[in-house]
Amino acid sequence: MPAAASISVVVVDDQQTMRSLVRTGLQQLGFKDIREAGDGEAGLRQVLTGTTHLVISDFNMPKLDGLGLLRAIRSHEPIRGTAFIMLTGRADKELVQRAVQFGVNNYLVKPFTVAQLKEKIEAVFGPLT
Amino acid sequence: MVGGLQRLDGLRPIHVVQGEQYVTDDPEAVLTTILGSCVSACMRDPLAGVGGMNHFLLPGARPGETDSVRHGVHAMELLVNALLGRGARRERLEVKLFGGARLIKGLTDVGALNAGFAEEFVRREGLQHVGGSLRGDSGRRIQYWPGSGRARQVFLPKQAEELIAIETRTPKPAPAQTGALELF
Repeated sequence: MPAAASISVVVVDDQQTMRSLVRTGLQQLGFKDIREAGDGEAGLRQVLTGTTHLVISDFNMPKLDGLGLLRAIRSHEPIRGTAFIMLTGRADKELVQRAVQFGVNNYLVKPFTVAQLKEKIEAVFGPLT
Repeated sequence: MVGGLQRLDGLRPIHVVQGEQYVTDDPEAVLTTILGSCVSACMRDPLAGVGGMNHFLLPGARPGETDSVRHGVHAMELLVNALLGRGARRERLEVKLFGGARLIKGLTDVGALNAGFAEEFVRREGLQHVGGSLRGDSGRRIQYWPGSGRARQVFLPKQAEELIAIETRTPKPAPAQTGALELF
């Protein structure tokens, strides 16, 4: 049972408001190490330059979208094992299927609750303490 | 002019109801809506020639209620992403906000919560808030021309129950996990 505080998270979304909401939810769940990035390129830099256990990323972003970020992470040996949860809209079934092909660990449909966020993270890491 | 609003002869009116958004690059389009305590964001990128409108109400809005705010953020994000998908650039987006009236005194001022959320969203996202009309105690009928960015509003008679009925006529179910894929 991993402690939420021991999991390092990078939240990637081009909307500052959404990043704040995800951060708030993670903090409510006990996460401490939370970094943010406003697009896929910045997110990739965060993952490459610091210890990251989990990426929670939007799909629609400038420069490098969520799928591009996922592919980049899965193709870099040192970081390819990083857990990846994609944030999607309601009508993104095709996107989810493509993300699965690229090795996404889970996905979360917006708008979501903190309980749903917890459920998706626990499906990847196991029950959080 | 009809009741303070412009006649729409030759134009293509599109009515946006609660829970929906509409984006177009049609220069002949005019987006319309009726607002009580709900809020509509009217956004456009003048260079890309694309614009749109949403119409939302924070469900069970209470100050600081995170899950309620998530729905508002989602409504705004759907509009922003639809515009970006049609060639708009975030830094060029111009926003007008309408609605957020207090229709019934004595209850929680849901309109003010909606208006405050919309203003805060625009501020935090660094979007250009170029106008609009928020709060007050009357419903509004809005026309918005995404091609030019022009907007007109007419205050409606204070018939709170009727306005609430109009706004909630076609409620959208909360977009939760319904229809989601079972892959994990």
